[in-house]
Amino acid sequence: MILNALIVASPLTPLENLLRDVLKWLGPHGTIGLPWAWSIVALTIIVRLLLVPLTVRQIHSMQNLQRHAPQMKEIQKKYKADKKRQQEELMKFYKENSINPASSCLPLLAQFPVFISLYLVLKHFPHQPGDNLDWLGLWNITDKASAGWGPVLVAVYALSQLASSYFMSATAEKSQRIMLLVLPIVFIPFIINFKVGLVLYWMTTNLWTVGQGLVTRRLMPRPAAPEKRSSRTPPKEVATAVAPEPEPTPAPVTPSQPRKVKRKKRARR
Amino acid sequence: MRLALRAPTYLGVCLVYAWRWTFGSLTRGSCKYHPTCSQYALDALRQYGLVRGSVLAAWRLLRCNPWSRGGVDYARDQRLFR
Repeated sequence: MILNALIVASPLTPLENLLRDVLKWLGPHGTIGLPWAWSIVALTIIVRLLLVPLTVRQIHSMQNLQRHAPQMKEIQKKYKADKKRQQEELMKFYKENSINPASSCLPLLAQFPVFISLYLVLKHFPHQPGDNLDWLGLWNITDKASAGWGPVLVAVYALSQLASSYFMSATAEKSQRIMLLVLPIVFIPFIINFKVGLVLYWMTTNLWTVGQGLVTRRLMPRPAAPEKRSSRTPPKEVATAVAPEPEPTPAPVTPSQPRKVKRKKRARR
Repeated sequence: MRLALRAPTYLGVCLVYAWRWTFGSLTRGSCKYHPTCSQYALDALRQYGLVRGSVLAAWRLLRCNPWSRGGVDYARDQRLFR
């Protein structure tokens, strides 16, 4: 355990110190003067605000992805039997059309050092005797989440986790969806042993993800009908290369019904 | 003896699986490369051992950022260790 702590702690010490300093700055004895619990919430929001440029980039690339959705569906259909090949072809398609897939591993993984550092900060919390450590009068941030009203907070956390993973996993398949539902419940026995402050951080970051997801959905309407049309015309590449301007013109000529017929045809194949 | 020599590699492989079965399962489908970063790490560890495999996996993770393009990238095609 000590060795483990050494391996994890030593590279994270600068980050831990930084987080502690920011917390102190936000906290009751710092410049901002928030109560400790709210300074944790504020810290979380600062961390997520720093990640907003990443999110904006993700929104842009997701819009780009949606623009190419019909062609991607074709590829998925074409290599339905061979998942590996399907993935490879999709990646090739991304490259050819200079699409940047929305998500990537590094930002997800980068949250973990922050989480572990905050865990270490909360272990030796920089409060002074007599400080107010309550949150909403129900939870003490230095208590274990199993004490008092803690389980209620853990339940709220589990819900927030569910909601946030719903927004994070756009491409989730059925089996993965079940996993996403089960995991927050599996996590509970571990999380109940964490400090309330840490649960507070995790919950806030999840709620931020949910909020971000909702805003993103508002900003990004579902792909429009003319884009779907381009997928069934034989010279696909040419049709899309010409740009979407000529496509709306045939749309008013053909009423909405033939579209349905053609969709059915595709389904029969 | 051979097993003993491979032990560090298996440790790395176990760590990747530990990631996959816990937090990794929350973030499925979020890799922009094929194979995914965790699969790449497993391949790299098995093919190049703990040290070189870890370096390759770390380099891959650094490349899997919002500014990179992603794509097909197998551990066997690496150019770091020749």
